[in-house]
Amino acid sequence: MELPLLERARNGDDAFPLAIDAGDGQMASFCGAGMGVELPAPPGPGEQYRFHFDMTKCIGCKCCVVACNEQNGNPAAIQWRRVGEIEGGVYPNAIRHYLSMGCNHCLEPTCLTGCPVDAYTKDGVTGIVRHSADACIGCQYCTWNCSYGVPQYNPERGVVGKCDMCYGRLTQGQLPACANACPEGAIRIETVHTTAWRREYGVKANSPGMPSADDSLSTTRISLPARLTPDVRKVDINRLHLEHPHWPLVVMTVLTQLSVGAFTSIWLLEVLSARPHRAAAIVALLVAMLALAASTLHLGRPLHAVRALKMWRRSWLSREVLLFTLFAITAQGYSAALWMGIKQSAFLGSLTVLFGLCGVGASARLYLVPGRPAWKSPFTILEFYLTAMLLGSAGANVLYGASSWATPTMVTAVAAVFAGGIAKMIWLARSHQHERRGTFTLLVTDLSNLLTARILLLFAGLLLLALAPAGQKEITISIAAVFICSEFVGRYLFFVSVVPTNMAAEYLHAEAA
Amino acid sequence: MTILDWLKRKSGLDIAADQYRYGEDPVLGYTSMRKHADGWVNSTCGYCSVGCGMQLGVRDGHVVSVRGNPDHPVNQGKLCPKGLAEHYAIESEGRARFPLLRKQGELTRVGWDEAISVFVERFRAVQAKFGAESVGVISTGQLVTEEFYALGKLVQLGLGTRNYDGNTTLCMSTAVAGYKRSFGSDGPPGAYEDLELADVILLIGANVAENHPILCSRLEANRSRTLIVADPRVTKTAMMADLYLPVKPRSDLALVNAMIRVVIAENFCDMDFVERYTSGFDELRASVEPYTLEYAAEITGLAPDLIHKTALLYGNARSAFIGWTMGVNHSTKGTETVNAINNLALITGNIGRAGAAPFSITGQCNAMGTRETGFTSGLPGYRKFESENDRRYLAGIWNVPVERIPTKRGLAYPDIIEAAVAGKIRALWIIGTNPLVSFPNIDVLKQALGNLDFLVVQDGFHPTPTTELADLVLPAAIWGEKEGTYTNSERRVSKVNAAVAPQGQARSDFDIFMAIAEKLGCREELFPGWAGPADAFDEWRRVSAGQLCDYSGMTYAALEANSGIQWPFPAGSSLNPAASTRLYGDGRFATENGRANLLPTAWAPFPEQPNKEFPLVLNTGRTVEHWHTRTKTGGIPILQRMSPRAWLEMNPHDANRLGLRPHDRVEVVSARGRVSNVELRITEIVAPGQVFLPFHFVETNANQITQSAFDPVSREPNYKQCAVRVERSTHVRS
Repeated sequence: MELPLLERARNGDDAFPLAIDAGDGQMASFCGAGMGVELPAPPGPGEQYRFHFDMTKCIGCKCCVVACNEQNGNPAAIQWRRVGEIEGGVYPNAIRHYLSMGCNHCLEPTCLTGCPVDAYTKDGVTGIVRHSADACIGCQYCTWNCSYGVPQYNPERGVVGKCDMCYGRLTQGQLPACANACPEGAIRIETVHTTAWRREYGVKANSPGMPSADDSLSTTRISLPARLTPDVRKVDINRLHLEHPHWPLVVMTVLTQLSVGAFTSIWLLEVLSARPHRAAAIVALLVAMLALAASTLHLGRPLHAVRALKMWRRSWLSREVLLFTLFAITAQGYSAALWMGIKQSAFLGSLTVLFGLCGVGASARLYLVPGRPAWKSPFTILEFYLTAMLLGSAGANVLYGASSWATPTMVTAVAAVFAGGIAKMIWLARSHQHERRGTFTLLVTDLSNLLTARILLLFAGLLLLALAPAGQKEITISIAAVFICSEFVGRYLFFVSVVPTNMAAEYLHAEAA
Repeated sequence: MTILDWLKRKSGLDIAADQYRYGEDPVLGYTSMRKHADGWVNSTCGYCSVGCGMQLGVRDGHVVSVRGNPDHPVNQGKLCPKGLAEHYAIESEGRARFPLLRKQGELTRVGWDEAISVFVERFRAVQAKFGAESVGVISTGQLVTEEFYALGKLVQLGLGTRNYDGNTTLCMSTAVAGYKRSFGSDGPPGAYEDLELADVILLIGANVAENHPILCSRLEANRSRTLIVADPRVTKTAMMADLYLPVKPRSDLALVNAMIRVVIAENFCDMDFVERYTSGFDELRASVEPYTLEYAAEITGLAPDLIHKTALLYGNARSAFIGWTMGVNHSTKGTETVNAINNLALITGNIGRAGAAPFSITGQCNAMGTRETGFTSGLPGYRKFESENDRRYLAGIWNVPVERIPTKRGLAYPDIIEAAVAGKIRALWIIGTNPLVSFPNIDVLKQALGNLDFLVVQDGFHPTPTTELADLVLPAAIWGEKEGTYTNSERRVSKVNAAVAPQGQARSDFDIFMAIAEKLGCREELFPGWAGPADAFDEWRRVSAGQLCDYSGMTYAALEANSGIQWPFPAGSSLNPAASTRLYGDGRFATENGRANLLPTAWAPFPEQPNKEFPLVLNTGRTVEHWHTRTKTGGIPILQRMSPRAWLEMNPHDANRLGLRPHDRVEVVSARGRVSNVELRITEIVAPGQVFLPFHFVETNANQITQSAFDPVSREPNYKQCAVRVERSTHVRS
């Protein structure tokens, strides 16, 4: 039988020693002194290390959190290990327990599969999901992909970081900092047989207050207390707050969609109506360039943006970058061809449109992540294409002067936006997932003014369309501007209203220290 | 940062890799290299009284990391989250670094000479005008024992006032008073080891999981124990219990008396012990007669069967341990409740044996030290003002006329404040405490401090709400910057060491006391030849000799070598310094006749019952991340991040009635004041009709609404219950 992981370890390709010498001096002797916490033997073939968290022992003291931050030199705002609280029952039979979680070192890590630069590796011997700060470009896609919120972006460094089970300590035969610090012996390291775990994880890795282990096959074993009533849930469940707007991404997605939509219109007009326009494509191209430039501002390490192409076989983010790069290249060619009046420009146009539309698809698809339930639906794909349709036709309407095809296209798009929006709100409100209901609540409470503004902007656009004397430049520009504003508001709402999945937190929202 | 550096950072060329580098450290193992130390200094934690052994890692004159001392018997290498981040306190922004004197209304930096001169001149001027006892001193449980010992002599014999007390009156004086009345002396009789050896452990008003987490591992290690927790709130500790008693607020005395009645009626008493070592049994039996199960059930809200079961569990135990903290102490019936607990332990012989003790779990890191050496409610070494022998003995050691030693104590802390309100105390010296946050019914205190001619605050931190009011601020060294000893709850004396020099111009409290003595002209008389804490320790050992808290066999070297030694440890002792010891194992108590007193006690309702205007009962308490008034922990980013502000716990039943929702901002109003803009937590961990507010946060200070009600014996405030109403905040600040 072939054992590639074992092979790799034996060949010395990996720093992890097959035999840990636990007896070398004082270190091993004080690790977990008095609590009988010890490091198990290194994992054998088909095995990996995992955390065991014993909820029956945890008293919520958060020693693990402090010890983790000391171990890794992290600032207070970044906690690779966190403690949250769950609660249920009725006084005096109230039930309160704590969850402590670092990384779950999943069998199918979604952080890893989404990463565009291959910064993540699943260690062959230990199964530890490791992250390379050197390889990372700070795109933060993993922070959306992990349903446990494990990877955290460090703005001071421009890269993400996460719990690596104190890999460096394990290689020296030392316990991870959290397990070492726990006064109750509630955190331990165990070995687990991965095939067996695929059968068992459903029962042993899930807990109230935790996202489903199905998303990535968490390996953390959680021992639950015998007495847990069904109403036990996370104490922060009613606490909703707006997520980061990711302004560069708001700009980038809306403008790429505008550009792709515009190129599609330009190409269709060229092919169907034989109305080539020398300058229109240049404008659309400038918009595309602006969008792509904006996207790099989202990166913690914009200079390394090109690395994002690397994982196109696996990562939707890489695919988005690749497709939009191809779109930009072909769009340049197409624009040049139109400018110079080259006859075969339509072929280049078709390539541009193909790459652009695929790019919008990839762009939408990458938001369908486990950690952001409100995004994870076909509505996201529909919304992105409708933005392209609406803004593309509105843009072309300006460049070409009002025309018979533009108004019905825009009206159709707006109607679809309304229909899709209403359907999405109903779907969110009636969801069994509290994160989706939370998004609905945010949209109708904290964000209700902006949501109203978006609806009014769409109506305003329709009104202008109805009133517009054909071909009047000021009106067509106004219509486009109103719709662009509407889509910016819509995209802003998309980003800030999402409620991430996560482990239970503390009751109070942490403020910057 | 240069523009080039900024560009490197923003472009992603520089990811601060050096700052986030790891490496192998011979002590810490593989860790962030920022935590690596050149040398390690053994010490003892400066937060609570558990007394964990610590090691401070020092590099280039900074404490860069701490860890639990793996060889220390108390904590075996573990620390709570406060301890794990304690090194950040030393260089925190809020440290007091320079002497400050109020000039034209502003606190202005001055030199030490001027500060000490002004201190002495102003105090002497007040005394000359209003009498020697017109000045008061309020100290703390945070100093080292040597400093407490020196301070007592300085205040009573040098400054010449008896009006001296510590903030320990806000937390431990009830236990002290209760122990003195029952056993003839202060001194917790048990040891932490008892938590591992007892077969029944009853915790009353003690949330150890939140407040003394390192003790919880002992409960965890004791596999055969039955843990009973009595608390009105479903605390973290209640969740650990095998049997949880959701008592009504301040009904513990009725519970214990009912247990005593069952134990006597059903013959669980150790009558041999009672007859040989106690007095007052008949009076006790008569006094508990009214506490039938039904009567106690009515008071406590527990089912009669549950009380009966609890009494049987306790009565049947081979060795039973009762631990308590502020739920008992913070009460106008506190001393009586401690006596009732002691009664229960005594009649069942649960004292002086392994696993058996009525055990007060203390608060501050060295509350015990000030109890032993203090010159406040007693003479140093648990001696009595009233005893001529004691006064003569001390006068002999101190080489002063016996007439100089007072024959009775001065005013207790709350009475000093009352006297300041009345204009009888005109100058006050506050050391290592922050009453503007910690004293009940804060408006009375503000009035008192406003009346003063001169207020000196000596503290490790500035600004605090209290230093801001001071006329003179004396910056003091804190934990990590000075040497001495702390005594923990189990009477273990552990060494405290300086790892770094004090911040700025701060000086150790010991040095400040010596400078003041020098200026007062009493240094040579009271502290002859003293250069440092070791000299105080030597004299203190002689003072303690032959007393219950006998240090005479201890030396600094022995304390270091054994990671602390429990007292009594007399000179020439054959005791193994590493072994756990208990008091009263021989059945001889510190009373005059050597017998323990069984004292009748009577339950009464707490002073301010809920009423129509204020229908809810407010309970106060702590959270694991913070220490007292947050002068120390509020400046530590990780702790502040984990616990950023206060919250108010309310049962859904009350919240529904008031139309309140989770995370609403509310006002908590009592007859005395209001706490504004607290975030509401609707939860089943508090009973209907009760609310809970943590007291750490000056921004939402619980003591705006607590009352001026004090235990008649211990003078400890009744912090735990008062009547309030809750209303929605109209002006929401986020």
